[in-house]
Amino acid sequence: MSDNAESPTETQKDDPSIQHAATEQTGASDEKKKIDVLLKAVGDAPIMKTKKWSVERGRTVQSLAQFISRFLKLEASEQLFIYVNQSFAPSPDQEVGVLFECFGSDGKLVLHYCKSQAWG
Amino acid sequence: MADDKDVLRDVWFGRIPACFTLSPEETTEREAEPYYLLLPRVSYLTLVTDKVKKHFLRVMKAEDVEEMWLEYEGTPLKWHYPIGVLFDLHASNTALPWNVTVHFKNFPEDDLLHCASNSVIEAHFMSCIKEADALKHKGQVINDMQKKDHKQLWMGLQNDKFDQFWAMNRKLMEYPTEEGGFRYIPFRIYQTMSDRPFIQKLFRPVSPEGHTLTLGDLLKELFPAAICAEGGWHQR
Repeated sequence: MSDNAESPTETQKDDPSIQHAATEQTGASDEKKKIDVLLKAVGDAPIMKTKKWSVERGRTVQSLAQFISRFLKLEASEQLFIYVNQSFAPSPDQEVGVLFECFGSDGKLVLHYCKSQAWG
Repeated sequence: MADDKDVLRDVWFGRIPACFTLSPEETTEREAEPYYLLLPRVSYLTLVTDKVKKHFLRVMKAEDVEEMWLEYEGTPLKWHYPIGVLFDLHASNTALPWNVTVHFKNFPEDDLLHCASNSVIEAHFMSCIKEADALKHKGQVINDMQKKDHKQLWMGLQNDKFDQFWAMNRKLMEYPTEEGGFRYIPFRIYQTMSDRPFIQKLFRPVSPEGHTLTLGDLLKELFPAAICAEGGWHQR
């Protein structure tokens, strides 16, 4: 995975598939190209100032993890672990849209992230 | 379902005969003979191909060797998919043995996950089990099991021990009789030609009226193209 030094504002411009989520949601979820993700920090992981993000369904867990790492300005050596339902770590190539379909609630997918294995 | 021992054994002991050949791109000190191996359908490539790696390392210099990866007719094989799925997806219509090409350099970063050790496979396997149980039982059964029970599940797979595996897996395959089934069926539909890796959605095994649903019902609702108008099956 490529890890360049980028400022947070740059990553948002480079990542049109990840945007701040609108507060109101209308329309059937099947037709929406983006799903709402709520990011929650675990352990000593820094808390994201913006927790709610609108993410394209086809985006993978790995690319979301890379986005979070860049946003939090983590060191290249620092790992990031992502969990669903506070119980399992989805495969890095898993699409967030599929996770939302199966494990979303109240119109959003809650993902916990941490710098070490939490529910390994 | 856990009583259908014959079916469970047939599924567990399914094997695919494979022939591993070193890629001509690799640098060798002498000619490499192909290596033949029976692959368990329910396992993972990186878990069962240590002998393949050892066989080819004998004819190679250490400096020419990086992480081993496998490919079939130009397509890198994703080790984190069960072997049976990989074979059915890529080679089910071809003659046996399954001819797989072995590589030790130019790891395809965009197509494959790295697999540094067996603990990576174990973590992936356990995550799959947990994800499935989240759908079947809201995760309650897997969470109520002890760490040593989880370990036994993994060791059963790693060491190809049907009884050891199913002693634990049977708990994950039970449901209260009054429910009539799991909360949702954990399934994935893989297609050869598709822009997405697989189809995975929520599906209840019992209809709102209380009828037990079949695989055909699931396909009709989520992948109708798999079933012809005449009621037959599409070859996919």
